[in-house]
Amino acid sequence: MTGLEAWLRQATRQLSKDSVAQVRAEIREHYEASREAAASSGATVDEADRTAVAALGDARTANCQYRNVLLTAAEARILRESNWEVQAICSRPWLNRLLVVLCVATLWAGAALLLAGSVTAARLLLAGGIGFGFLFVAPLLPIYTLSRSRVYRGLKLAIMTAMVVLAFGPNALKWFWLLVSCLWPLFWVEWTRASIRRKLPAAQWPRQLYL
Amino acid sequence: MNFKGTLPTLILEALRHEPTHGYRIAQQIKERSRGVLDFKEGTLYPALHKLENEGLVSSYAGVENGRPRRYYRITESGRKALNKDRAQWREVSRAVTVILGEA
Repeated sequence: MTGLEAWLRQATRQLSKDSVAQVRAEIREHYEASREAAASSGATVDEADRTAVAALGDARTANCQYRNVLLTAAEARILRESNWEVQAICSRPWLNRLLVVLCVATLWAGAALLLAGSVTAARLLLAGGIGFGFLFVAPLLPIYTLSRSRVYRGLKLAIMTAMVVLAFGPNALKWFWLLVSCLWPLFWVEWTRASIRRKLPAAQWPRQLYL
Repeated sequence: MNFKGTLPTLILEALRHEPTHGYRIAQQIKERSRGVLDFKEGTLYPALHKLENEGLVSSYAGVENGRPRRYYRITESGRKALNKDRAQWREVSRAVTVILGEA
């Protein structure tokens, strides 16, 4: 393995396929120019190779910096696979209508139970109705601009928290461990999406990044 | 010399007059600082990507001596950011010079 290849392997660790290709192309380009400059100033081929690789610096540092600005393999996977909200809702109009009807029915049943005095069941139904209604109806609204999507995400966080408090009432904190252990994939996806938003220019955002 | 945090500004300055590729940006910074600002060139591209993500530079494919190259050019927001950074740097530099008693 050449010095450059070893450097590239280290510098591209955990990056997505596209990012790896991009890094390899730009570093190779840079390396060739650097090597030519060293050769033209009288260095032997081996010396020129070594100088060009040494000029790149520590591959681990470069890898750390690349992972901060380019998509990692995990982020690319999330980007590919986490568009279920948009796919499920926007691609099937009948499902969309069914979900809206279900949410309204749940809210209605929750309100009826509340009036009938069955507070615990009513609380669970209301929490479900509000949460899923928000989750399924909002993607159909015109929220696909930077500022509106920011408002939407803030509201989503607030509503999810309210939903937990509504569902568990005063025991919300007591059941926090259960919620965290059940919902951590959701938190992880949200965290990764936030990281992707930092790395991709807004013009390249797919629809799910606005949610 | 360690000049952590100033690399993005130096890149924007290197692109101020004309679009160019990564290798020439690195050489320009080294030459214009007379070798004082010697940095590891592998860190140049992450900084360029960051500037691109922030909309301060844009890139396009070009060819030099028959070899494909990625060229970078400063955007209007990049020029504004550079002017702001330059003003801030002058202020900081003046203050440090005064403190060190070399004014």
